[in-house]
Amino acid sequence: MKKKFVKTMAFGLAATMTATTLLAGCSNSSEDKGNSGSGTVTLTFPVWDLASNPYLNDIVDGFEETHPDIKINVVDVASSEYSNKLSVMLNGGSACDIVYIKDGDSTPSYAEKGQLEDLTPYIEKDGIDTSKYVSFDELNIDGKQTAIPFKTDYYVLYYNKDIFDAANVEYPSNDMTWSEWEEMCSKLTSGEGANKIYGGYLHTWQACVENWAVQDGKNTILGPDYSFMKPAYEMALRMQDAGTIMDYSTLKTSNIAYASPFQQGTVATLPMGTWFSSMMIAKKDAGETNVNWGIATLPHPDGVPAGSTVGSITPMGINANSEYKDEAWEFIKYACGEEGANSLIARGQMPAYQDENTLNDLAALEGMPEGSAEAMKTTSIVLDRPIDSASAEVNQMLSEEHSLIMIKEKPIDDVLKEMSDRSKEIQGE
Amino acid sequence: MSGKAKAKKGGLSLTVRQNLIGYSFILPNFIGFFIFIFIPVMFSLVLSFSSWDGFNEIKFNGLNNFIDIFHDSVFLGAIWKTAYFSFFTVIFSMLASLGLALLLNQKIKARGFFRCALFFPYVASVVAVSVVFNAMLQPDYGPVNEFLRFIGISNPPGWLASTDRVIPGLIIVNVWRNMGYFMIIYLAGLQNIDQSLYEAAEIDGAKGWARFSKITWPLLSPSTFFVVMMLIINSFKVFDLVYLMTQGGPGTASTMLSQYIYNQAFISWDYGKSSAAAMILFLIVALLTVFQFKAEKKFVNY
Amino acid sequence: MVKKKNPLTRAVIYILLIGLTVITLTPLIWMLSSSLKLDSEVFSIPIKWIPDNPQWSNYAKIWEKIPLLTFTFNSVKLTVIITIIQVITSSFAAYGFAKCKFKGRNILFLFYVATMAIPWQVYMLPQYSLMNSLHLVDTHIGYILMQSFNAFGVFLMRQAFISIPDELLEAARIDGLSEYGIYAKIALPLSKASITTLVIFTFVTIWNDYMGPMIYLNTETKKTLQLGIKMFIGQYSTEYGLVMAVSVLALVPVLIIFLIGQKQFVQGIASSGIKG
Repeated sequence: MKKKFVKTMAFGLAATMTATTLLAGCSNSSEDKGNSGSGTVTLTFPVWDLASNPYLNDIVDGFEETHPDIKINVVDVASSEYSNKLSVMLNGGSACDIVYIKDGDSTPSYAEKGQLEDLTPYIEKDGIDTSKYVSFDELNIDGKQTAIPFKTDYYVLYYNKDIFDAANVEYPSNDMTWSEWEEMCSKLTSGEGANKIYGGYLHTWQACVENWAVQDGKNTILGPDYSFMKPAYEMALRMQDAGTIMDYSTLKTSNIAYASPFQQGTVATLPMGTWFSSMMIAKKDAGETNVNWGIATLPHPDGVPAGSTVGSITPMGINANSEYKDEAWEFIKYACGEEGANSLIARGQMPAYQDENTLNDLAALEGMPEGSAEAMKTTSIVLDRPIDSASAEVNQMLSEEHSLIMIKEKPIDDVLKEMSDRSKEIQGE
Repeated sequence: MSGKAKAKKGGLSLTVRQNLIGYSFILPNFIGFFIFIFIPVMFSLVLSFSSWDGFNEIKFNGLNNFIDIFHDSVFLGAIWKTAYFSFFTVIFSMLASLGLALLLNQKIKARGFFRCALFFPYVASVVAVSVVFNAMLQPDYGPVNEFLRFIGISNPPGWLASTDRVIPGLIIVNVWRNMGYFMIIYLAGLQNIDQSLYEAAEIDGAKGWARFSKITWPLLSPSTFFVVMMLIINSFKVFDLVYLMTQGGPGTASTMLSQYIYNQAFISWDYGKSSAAAMILFLIVALLTVFQFKAEKKFVNY
Repeated sequence: MVKKKNPLTRAVIYILLIGLTVITLTPLIWMLSSSLKLDSEVFSIPIKWIPDNPQWSNYAKIWEKIPLLTFTFNSVKLTVIITIIQVITSSFAAYGFAKCKFKGRNILFLFYVATMAIPWQVYMLPQYSLMNSLHLVDTHIGYILMQSFNAFGVFLMRQAFISIPDELLEAARIDGLSEYGIYAKIALPLSKASITTLVIFTFVTIWNDYMGPMIYLNTETKKTLQLGIKMFIGQYSTEYGLVMAVSVLALVPVLIIFLIGQKQFVQGIASSGIKG
């Protein structure tokens, strides 16, 4: 028995040692994966939803062609977990050179930890014309340019021309107030049950109500007083009661994505982000929808000029701990510059680097409806979530409270008060 | 009691040898467990007394995290909601899985098919499950409420769209998911019961309930202990399903401990508070575990 | 052994089972029917159980759009290896906890059980840093090491070994069998049903694991099936038809394992075992 025991112990030891060697072996192989010899540098570039964002591959291919000594290692992550994974990579010390930030408002949370390189010297060295970028200065945090905007998106109004024709209502103009929209929606609503046509559609995101409250640029979602949101909520509830938009709890509990009702032709008007146009073009090409669609400027609150809209930016920065900052800068300069912008436009996306031709080029794209260039013109773009370290947490809180109003569990005033209390608590820390 | 006779032959004393044999069994698993699970867990224990953003220096801050979370109404609410959710999940899941195991341990036609069908909820992707149950529990036209109206309940609950019915709704879904899983453990447990006991009982004239309460139930006690333990742990930790079905809403009506822990770590980037909340969760489960172990010593027959 | 039940009882049993099965299978039917729909039809109100125009092409599209074959291969490889390691090491350790007496046994076991109560999200970051410093991130071996030694298997097998009577083991010891021999020749064969349970559970857990591969695997050729499913769920749009098609396919291997495994749950094995 003792012998057996010794044998087992020996076996255990041997197994442990093999495992250790194996591990050591692995570590060697993973180390020389990238940047040995030959002068080529490999940059790690985490992205989300690679398959549905083909412009990323276009840009990487174009870049590698013009920069033969730099390779880009694209790491594809599902969008819902992207921010988690990016943080884990940055925090856990994993190699990651280009920091592509999904929610622009979370930039400060990386910047405050010192994970983003200050880009000012690079910009000065290469003489980048920063005036061409949308919301460039918003990314300047405590005097440091933490990132450069790569993409931008803002809200416009999508509409179904056939429903307007059938209801004999004039197409929406590019200068319309929210109350005019509300009225228009009631004219467009018809039918019952499965055949019901809804005049409007407000998606379940709190943004699709609260954005109209911050559109004037006077308040932000950081509050901490939220009474300014009351008119927007009142409108949403009024329309829900009148049946001119789909009921929030129905949408929420049946996971209805905003795209389906619009593409099935059961919704006449849909305030949605510019990203939706490329989805519409793709679905029409695939023959999965035959909606005859158009774009108009987002309706605006009374007393706010037409063309004021709400949007967001998607920035790129350099990991402050990257070994290859100069190479990473080369990539960012390319992706966020003219070449990158052209790749974005070619795929129906709005680049943050814009000149006088951008909107026209985008509108000239195959499949875009007539008059989109005019409709996409803006006079001001307010960020839906301000670039602030409290944004993400406040936004989470707002999404919780938002549902209480929309399912009519609590009166608007009570919830707005609660929002205010919780917001102060979050930001007070 | 182990090998008393041989103890004299070996050079080592009995206890030392017994210890070594015991350790040798544990070792292969323990090395991996210790490095990859235990060390990170201990690290998070340290974190619960510190403030950390996940990247920069860890600063010790004593009990501040615990003081903070106990002043947070969302956290306090989460404790109660988790307890409420877990209590009913544990009871109903245990009863359902035991019932199913007893039914499916008999000789019936298509037994394999029935077992497979009932195990399916556990295997199916949570994404699909959450989507379909959202539709089934839909307040206005969902099949569940249509059925309730059909049997004469004019004002059926709003389920996931109402702050006080959302947790019962989640309990239903969770029990549905759990029952096949724990049915398997009970089925395995039933295999360990010596059939001769039943034969003897039959001779004594014990039938039905007496058979169950005198033989099956006591001899299943190790399985029951395991099932209850796992149910407690799993329901206290429940995350995926709730995250996908309600995101903790409406409002914070279904924000339970693990959701709170997740939000603190991944939305607020406050690992200290997140770990502190996890330690509270751990303490609750640990207390229940110790209590269970005491009970196991008393009641489990083996 | 079970006497023929009277017809009424049997009828009740069948009705109960069929009723439960129908309820339980509804989501599967929903998944199947959605996997044959266009995305825009998946959530139509009221629910359509049979699509008007079944999109069989969904099942072809999923192979074209993502490298499904590679993902499936990786999933099978990881699941099989982890299941084997898990079953061997945890049954070994469980025997120690159940049938050996040694110093610190209860404390050590409590450590195991206690870690089960800590949600993974909490120690995920420290674990990642550790794996990264060992250069195990984005390697299959790293994922295998991380998943192979959890407490669940040890706990499950301990409960199985506990129910083996001590007299049986004592008899074997007198016959001159070492503890390792007892483990291999008596304890394991007597716990077939529990081993099957552990195999099924480990298989299902690893096969369906999403967060682990999501955090630890970067390279396209190392990814698993569950990551593939998520590739159809985008930031602004989800291809539900394709998600359901992959989900349905992903069910098949698990159900096969289950169908094979469940045959172990036949009443009567134990009685012969104990006497033998």
